[in-house]
Amino acid sequence: MFDSIEEIEQKFAAHGYITDRHLATTVYLAASLGKPLYLEGEPGVGKTEVAKVLAKSLDTELIRLQCYEGLDTNLALYEWNYLRQMLEIRLQEARGVEKESIGTNIFDQEFLLKRPLLQAIQPHGPQPPVLLIDEIDRSDDEFEAFLLEALSDFQITIPEVGTIKAEQPPFVVLTSNRTREMHDALKRRCLYHWIDYPTLEKELNIILTKVPKIQETLSTQVCKFMELLRQEDFYKRPGIAETIDWANALLSLGIDELDQEVIETTLSCILKYKQDQEKLTDDNLQKALAITKNFKGGPVVSAQGSIN
Amino acid sequence: MQYTYSPGGDNEPFLPPRGEMPAGLQQQSLPFITHIIRFGRKLHYAGIDVNPANLIDLSRSLLYIDIANHKDFYAAALATLIINREDMELFTRLFREYWENREITAEDEQPGAKAKEKSRDDATQAREIRKQLQPAEDDAGEEETEPEQAGYSSHELLAKKDIDRMSELELEEARKIIAELIAILANRKSRRFSPAKSGAQLDFRKIFRRSMPYGEYCLRLAYKTHRLKKNKLILFCDVSGSMERYSQFLIQLICAMGAKISNIEVAVFSTHMTSITPYLNRNDVGDVVAQMSEQVHDWAGGTNIGGCLRELNEREAHQMLSSHTIAVILSDGWDQGDADLMRNEMEQLRRRVNKIIWLNPLLGNENYQPLCKGMQTALPFLDYFLPVHNLESLAEVTKLLRALWH
Repeated sequence: MFDSIEEIEQKFAAHGYITDRHLATTVYLAASLGKPLYLEGEPGVGKTEVAKVLAKSLDTELIRLQCYEGLDTNLALYEWNYLRQMLEIRLQEARGVEKESIGTNIFDQEFLLKRPLLQAIQPHGPQPPVLLIDEIDRSDDEFEAFLLEALSDFQITIPEVGTIKAEQPPFVVLTSNRTREMHDALKRRCLYHWIDYPTLEKELNIILTKVPKIQETLSTQVCKFMELLRQEDFYKRPGIAETIDWANALLSLGIDELDQEVIETTLSCILKYKQDQEKLTDDNLQKALAITKNFKGGPVVSAQGSIN
Repeated sequence: MQYTYSPGGDNEPFLPPRGEMPAGLQQQSLPFITHIIRFGRKLHYAGIDVNPANLIDLSRSLLYIDIANHKDFYAAALATLIINREDMELFTRLFREYWENREITAEDEQPGAKAKEKSRDDATQAREIRKQLQPAEDDAGEEETEPEQAGYSSHELLAKKDIDRMSELELEEARKIIAELIAILANRKSRRFSPAKSGAQLDFRKIFRRSMPYGEYCLRLAYKTHRLKKNKLILFCDVSGSMERYSQFLIQLICAMGAKISNIEVAVFSTHMTSITPYLNRNDVGDVVAQMSEQVHDWAGGTNIGGCLRELNEREAHQMLSSHTIAVILSDGWDQGDADLMRNEMEQLRRRVNKIIWLNPLLGNENYQPLCKGMQTALPFLDYFLPVHNLESLAEVTKLLRALWH
């Protein structure tokens, strides 16, 4: 799949995802060892994005399974298309098919509705697809147990058809927001990676990639301000997604530099809970703003960037 | 340290010294794998569980990365051996110790030292707060506990009766009521289906399967319905002076039911929160209560509801709080802590759990108004605010909840 860690860094960057060597190494190992990748982190740090970029880099299909409580095999694996099966029997009768052979074909694969896991095992293209199992923490214990089995063999048994085995196992990426603790057994089958909030330097790179039109002064200020904000004790700390939203918002408002009014009017881009917005008092805001404005470090003097 | 052996020199931290390295791939990699196993054992002794499959993964990953590259090897070890974010810090320290032969420097110790300092600070602070509270308690005692006492009138059974002095019949009744209350709180409809004899939803998969022998005719309909699933129950009992007897009574009752209840967590609080779930399975109720009194050092002290809720939210969130948790708080709401903190923490709890039920013995009194600060703060976040001052009121609560939920 990939020949080197550097190749991953380059390919990811080419598709607009700035990664660090640590994550790239983990992805490389997951590809080489053929193990699923288990990504954890706060919301908005780019977990799902890894799978999307991975699919683009490998030039293959991305199959996404969004987890929720009550997700069962009918929705994750396969389901028979009952209506078509019934119609088929009717049609055969109308065509005058012999009684013995009526309905013998209704468990052919053409009546099978393929759900994400089966799709991943029987992909359309020649390349093994990337299977994204998103927000696994939202599923329940039963599904977790089922997944454990599915991920170890990559084969599915359908009683009417037989066992279907993947020719090439898909590249599996699981993501979790840690709303609940997952069972160790599942995690142990995967390569674990915690995606942290980015360093100032990395975030700046991300902003410059995602919002190319932005001025350097503004982007530096935005990133520094976000860094200060994340040190506060909020219910929901802003992630990279919020930084990008905010940068886009500021850009479309035609703003060159942060000031108190600008921050107050656009605060809803970064703090999404009322009580968090109230927590950011005028005092705190001014203090953070002063530090932000005095901060001169761009990508060049990044070494000082992460120190407050 | 048990393992101070370092595999490498300063320049090449991961490779054995060149002179000692024998020729031949297998022999060459053997010492390194030994190191991996030793490292795994070191992690194990430090409390990070690593199973052989993970160590094999790490060994396999050496085929793909350049082990002389420090960062890559670290990333590989982290990805293959660690499955919890909480272990990462300890892992990094052990990793450095083992593979870089680094003694722990002052710089490394600093975060830990700071944490210790901080906890010391906290402890001092707590003592000071308690000191400050003490006179306040005495002062306020005159004004505040007086009307409160009025709420505990003589006919109230729970306040008066100890479980030891209840007749067998009364005890049996009390157990029944509690069992029913818990059953009502603990059951919920799952999102999953199971077969049913009748119901609102048709099970097409089954209908079709059943009609197979008869062509397309369906002779019998199949139904499905939502399964019952268990909620998690948290009983959060106030054991400060004003509430001790009520809580003790309820906890004793729950202990008496023992193994019949699963999925219930009991914590007591006054100035600090203590989980007493581990003691619930004891057969001897008296022992359990004695043990709890020992364990809960601040049994019958002042109350800091906000601080205790914070402890609940912070420490137990992963284990106890989820969208299937019903939090039952048993308290009179006489809070001597910070009202803002309490509001914040109630708000957090509100988001994390399914329902919050507040049982207040004072509510049994006709003239009672929830005017005290703590109760005022909590009210907006409650699903139910119910009285619990004697067995009849408990039975009423049970009846009401059943009518509402089922």
